[in-house]
Amino acid sequence: MKDQKILVVDDEKNIRLSLSQALAPLGWPVETAVNGEEALGKLDDQSILLIILDLRMPGMDGIEVLRRVSELRPDIRVIIVTAYGTVERAVEAMKLGAVDLIQKPFSPEQIRDLTQQVLARDQLNEDKAADYQTHLELAKKAVGERNFKGALSHAQKAIALDPYRAEAFNLVGCLHEVLHQREDAIKNYRMAYEADPSYAPARENLDRLTSHGGRGPISWESAGKQRKDDK
Amino acid sequence: MGICRQTTKRRQVNRVMAKSLFIVVVGCGRLGSLLANGLSGQGHSVVVIDRRAEAFDDLSAEFSGFKVVGDAVESETLRKARAADADCLIAAAEEDNVNLMVAQVAKDVFQVKWVIARVAEPARELAYRQLNIETVSPTSLAGDYVLRSLAQDK
Repeated sequence: MKDQKILVVDDEKNIRLSLSQALAPLGWPVETAVNGEEALGKLDDQSILLIILDLRMPGMDGIEVLRRVSELRPDIRVIIVTAYGTVERAVEAMKLGAVDLIQKPFSPEQIRDLTQQVLARDQLNEDKAADYQTHLELAKKAVGERNFKGALSHAQKAIALDPYRAEAFNLVGCLHEVLHQREDAIKNYRMAYEADPSYAPARENLDRLTSHGGRGPISWESAGKQRKDDK
Repeated sequence: MGICRQTTKRRQVNRVMAKSLFIVVVGCGRLGSLLANGLSGQGHSVVVIDRRAEAFDDLSAEFSGFKVVGDAVESETLRKARAADADCLIAAAEEDNVNLMVAQVAKDVFQVKWVIARVAEPARELAYRQLNIETVSPTSLAGDYVLRSLAQDK
């Protein structure tokens, strides 16, 4: 067993169970909290490394919990759990440093892969970054540190390495939205869509910004939508 | 590089869990809830669909899967349940026609490799088989069981 812990915050018992069982083989002890208040009460525990947080909970909602976590323990990484098709408030989550989303229902393999991906980011070495995926991961790491300009720079390096993939363009689009640069966001979502029309998050983001007055939810890749060839 | 190490470890962990399947159960009635509880208890990843949220009350406290409220006849509901990623889909709704339709959509549209449909009316089993859908008929099973028990007692 490892020293550090993962905290699962969800009001639904079956999801807490499902996450605890899925994460067990990774070897990190898993703690659970049934709501935001209980989760915040556990933040004094210095061994918490990662929080898996449901955005939609009765009482204190996920974004509020995220805001408090980002104030009290900015070192903790957060994975956001959302219901299918509701990637609402993801731009707010990104502003608070949470870039990793997973949509319900997810398979145990997907949540394990995402957890390992998030935790491996801390060991990445910027000086040795040479490939698309590493730059993309460094961009996400920078978001976790609220360094949005740094994130933009890494995502743009990823694009330079492979302009035919959609993911980095989409991340650049999201980052421009965080930085209130709507036109640049649209431009990058469009580039992502052109690079890969089957990449759903870019299509959804483009639709959202170019219709309904641009006030819909933001769509960022979730583990459920990851390209199969990335595995 | 960090990513290479992570990939190797990921493969090792996933190999340990390789026997766990991703299963969608349509209908959370008596049969559906029994299957969902049992499969979840065996360590499989289960998504159960029902039109009524109250139907999920029949799931046990140990059920660790996902619940999706919706009509499985609509493909959006199957998409929500991530049917395209399922190793297996079990159509266990009350009505045979619903099960037939869901099973066909799962097989042809979502390309689920292993589809099992519950059929109440044994006469319909042949039609399902012609569509390459595995069936289970509680009526036939109960009938066969009784006939066999009586034959043994003679």
